[in-house]
Amino acid sequence: MTETTVVRARGVARTFGTGPAAIVAVHMVSCEVRAGEHVALTGPSGSGKTTLMHLLAGLDLPTAGTVDWPALGDIGDLRPGPIAVVFQVASLLPPLDVVENVALPLLLQGADRNVARAVAIAALERLGLESLASRLPEELSGGQAQRVAVARALAGHPRLILADEPTGQLDHASGAVVIDALIEAAIAIEAGLIVNTHDPAIADRLEIRWSMASGRLSQKAATPC
Amino acid sequence: MVDGEWSPLAEGSDTVLISRQLNGIRLHVSWIRGLLRHRTGRFMATAVGVALAVGLLASLGSFVAASKATMTRRAIDTVAVDWQVEAQQGADPTAVAAQVASTNHVAASEMVLFASTNGFESSKGGTTRTTGVGQVLGIGDTYRSTFPGQLRDLAGVGAGVLLFQQTAANLDVVPGDRVSIARAGLPAVTVTVAGIIDLPQADSLFQRVGAPIGAQPQAPPDNVLIVPTSVWHDLFDPLAASRPDLVRMQVHARLDHRLADDPAAAYSDVASQARNLEVKLVGAGLVGDNLGATLSGARSDALYAQVLFLFLGVPGAVLAGLLTAAVAAAGRDRRRREQALLRTRGATTRQLIGLGTVEAVMVGIVGFALGLGLALVVDHVAFGSARFGATAAAAIGWSAAAVLGGLVIAAASIAVPTRRDVRDLTVASARRAVGRATSPRWMRWRLDLALLGLSMVVFWLTSRNGYQLVLAVEGVPTISVSYWAFAGPALLWVGAGLFCYRVANVIVRRGRSVLGALLRPLAGGLSDTVAASMQRQRHLIARGAALVAITVGFAASTAVFNATYRQQAEVDAVLSNGADVTVTTSPGTIVSPASPSAVAIAEASGVAHVEPIQHRFAYVGADLQDLYGVDASTIVRAGRLQDAYFQGGTARELMATLGAQPDSLLVSAETVHDFQLLPGDALTLRLQNGSTKAYVDVPFHYVGVAKEFPTAPHDSFLLANAAYVASMTGSDAVGAFLVDTASNDVGRVAESLRQQFGTTATVTDIASSRKIIGSSLTAVDLDGLTRVELGFALALAAAATGLTLWLGLAERRRTFAIATALGANRRQLGGFVWAEAGIISLVGLASGTAVAWALSNMLVKVLHGVFDPAPASLAVPWSYLGVVATVATVSTAVAGLAAIQSARKPHIEMLRDL
Repeated sequence: MTETTVVRARGVARTFGTGPAAIVAVHMVSCEVRAGEHVALTGPSGSGKTTLMHLLAGLDLPTAGTVDWPALGDIGDLRPGPIAVVFQVASLLPPLDVVENVALPLLLQGADRNVARAVAIAALERLGLESLASRLPEELSGGQAQRVAVARALAGHPRLILADEPTGQLDHASGAVVIDALIEAAIAIEAGLIVNTHDPAIADRLEIRWSMASGRLSQKAATPC
Repeated sequence: MVDGEWSPLAEGSDTVLISRQLNGIRLHVSWIRGLLRHRTGRFMATAVGVALAVGLLASLGSFVAASKATMTRRAIDTVAVDWQVEAQQGADPTAVAAQVASTNHVAASEMVLFASTNGFESSKGGTTRTTGVGQVLGIGDTYRSTFPGQLRDLAGVGAGVLLFQQTAANLDVVPGDRVSIARAGLPAVTVTVAGIIDLPQADSLFQRVGAPIGAQPQAPPDNVLIVPTSVWHDLFDPLAASRPDLVRMQVHARLDHRLADDPAAAYSDVASQARNLEVKLVGAGLVGDNLGATLSGARSDALYAQVLFLFLGVPGAVLAGLLTAAVAAAGRDRRRREQALLRTRGATTRQLIGLGTVEAVMVGIVGFALGLGLALVVDHVAFGSARFGATAAAAIGWSAAAVLGGLVIAAASIAVPTRRDVRDLTVASARRAVGRATSPRWMRWRLDLALLGLSMVVFWLTSRNGYQLVLAVEGVPTISVSYWAFAGPALLWVGAGLFCYRVANVIVRRGRSVLGALLRPLAGGLSDTVAASMQRQRHLIARGAALVAITVGFAASTAVFNATYRQQAEVDAVLSNGADVTVTTSPGTIVSPASPSAVAIAEASGVAHVEPIQHRFAYVGADLQDLYGVDASTIVRAGRLQDAYFQGGTARELMATLGAQPDSLLVSAETVHDFQLLPGDALTLRLQNGSTKAYVDVPFHYVGVAKEFPTAPHDSFLLANAAYVASMTGSDAVGAFLVDTASNDVGRVAESLRQQFGTTATVTDIASSRKIIGSSLTAVDLDGLTRVELGFALALAAAATGLTLWLGLAERRRTFAIATALGANRRQLGGFVWAEAGIISLVGLASGTAVAWALSNMLVKVLHGVFDPAPASLAVPWSYLGVVATVATVSTAVAGLAAIQSARKPHIEMLRDL
């Protein structure tokens, strides 16, 4: 049987600092996401959502517990490739134009430059951004930049997409466009999707909701852990 | 929040509190506190840039002060007799002597008597030899101890009747022989010679006291005899009675040498005291102010020290300023984003400018404190003392100038860009990191090409007056410097730096596809992306390359100039002394090249080669000139002859001619002019026959001009084939042996030869010569300046490459953090970093080498007056340049590795901000 669990956390904790000044950002969290599952991660500011996202993306290491990616491979195989991350602020590289930014993960994977460019343009077309291809990031609006970041995340056909407050700095309409694009793409490529959001409307659009408070995770619509 | 770790707005994370702070001084305090706590590296890097500029300026103040003090001291040391006060006809010599002795600042005085004679005569072996007119001097018992530099013993004892060496040679007299003195209208008298002496300062001893300024100097007499005062009175009191016009009296005075360090000030003091004495003498005496004349000459050396400071020091300070600006500019985007953030939270333009000004002032204060501390340490190491000026006022002036320079740099680097950004940029444009790069105005106006062209024009105009930079006319209190000449190298340096910016900009802008192909081995599949990234950041890259170019240009041209200066100082010392060690035979002593004493020199420990040189006196028409007979096959190497010493061929060519045509003769340019000689012209000299001592005609052919030759005088001399001279005069007597020690201990070899020869020969060594030669070249002690400049140049080279690269890359940590988050591995990140570092280093180093070559040549030509003799070629200090290249490469590599390491492990706070 094919392994479908794209990420799994077991008793994960992340503590910053030591001694009396230590801050426990994530405390004993266990969870998992399978391919095709869409999760909304909610909770107040400072509850540990971003830290958990980083741990699940392999960008940070837990101080206790384990995180693994059974369907994706070891931590060294995750990026570029199986995992794509969309950050809360525009995370495009300033000296590269839009199409170069979108093609970058593919090139980092070792794709041929012509192929990477063609895939990047296709990803931009899917989000209706092809007219922006030659613009520099600083010439885009916040919404446009975030949509380009989504296009970049989707271009590599990841198995797990982690979006950390992708609409946090956008107006409602722009945010809706970004979330539409993420959900549609995740469905199209059968990727697992975790969206960290404060917006209940966005959370409502995802079938699973995780909630964090003081570093602890509770799950409303269950995915067995 | 912006860019990771910190913004002042995050302090307390309370917008209301911050808004209140905006209205008070607490905002500035908290801003500075935040800078010091959270931007410590950048703040300190900027302050270090200011410190380098302040330190360099202050150290150079010390250099000028130390040089001036050295020049004054050396000028004093070179003068045997400070004042020669000549009693006028009819005046009472005793009264004049009393007046001189009672004058303030006169430490000691001695009376010296002069009598003119119609000539001297000697008889030996049935041959009688006579000379032309001469002088007989009478000196007291204490004269030699009071004025030790006036007479130099060559043979015999140093007291009693002493004969000048040239007279001794003319008369073929040695100590113990008798010489007859002709007296006008009186019978000749005979004395017994006790010793042979040299008169190193014969020119000033026999000067015409009271001669008008600019008058042709009077040649010293060829024939001089010195006797004790009592003997002189016995011999010449009768002459004084019958022919008072043939005797004169001088009072020689030594002054208190506690003079100002500045030669100009010391000159002014001494000259005014001399004038004051003349006034007090009321016409009874005139003062020959030897010390004043020497200090007057040293004034131009002092000005050259200032000129060297301007040429070699100011560019370093400017460079430190540019580096500070570059360091500050590396944080410009961060600053702009913070300004944008502050503005969105209500900060006014005035408040933002205030924050920039406060930051600049803090950087300036910390920078100048560090810089003055650095200067104290550097000065102590380089100059042995930590004084920023020759006088207290000068020290305060230099320190103030250094501090002002530091504050100006801090203001220009931080406050001015802040003010410009605040006034001209919108919030949106301030957030921009790259921008659609348009060429700067100066590029569109081709300012770089204009500056280079202008530099050539100025250089050409300067060359028309023979690069005469400093004009200090003897006897005239005012001195002048042609500062206009500085414009040539300065314009070249600035123009070349801007041109390098243009070149780097064009390469990266137009050569994107070529760069992509070239970068493939380094960046693999990302090469086109890297090339695209570089193309859009071309102004950043061009700025870095230009900075590297002008830094390398500064470091290398300074090093080449200093090495050339040192090379010429060595040449000067060799010219003065002749070789590592020179053994000069005493007059009357006949030493042939194969004699036992000559063989003994060759066999002495530490001696690698011995070159015998003949030294004779020859009449060219009525002029008596020094003639040197050389072995044409060995003299080029043994005498370290340079092409610059000759005219009409290289040293090797002319010596080959001298070897092939034994009757060849090289003469001075003055002789060529006086006798209207053309190459090949016959020239008959009168040389003394070795056996008969009579002057005989010896035919020669003029083949070229000799301008300099080891041990030869600067004015006129002759160079001939030794074997030919020996055959035509019947004597192969050697005048001096040039001893090559092949890097063995010169002092030890000289000492051993001194013990071997005793008083039969004079042994001099180059180490002593280096200390005593008083040309303008060596008067300016460049060693300290060299140490300071080359040290600072290394620090600047490290900063221009490593520091600015690292700061530039550190400013883009966010970009690298994104790339890492997207999955870029170490090699892929390295592609971005090394491509940028490589193009900056390659273009910068290549352009810097070209700049250094052009600048070195121009500097050496423009500062032609510092060199004596002029260099035939530049001396390139490869080892130092190798160190500069290594420092630049290592600091670039360290910066690149640090940037990659930092990007590979992005700070978690930075990831949280993505």
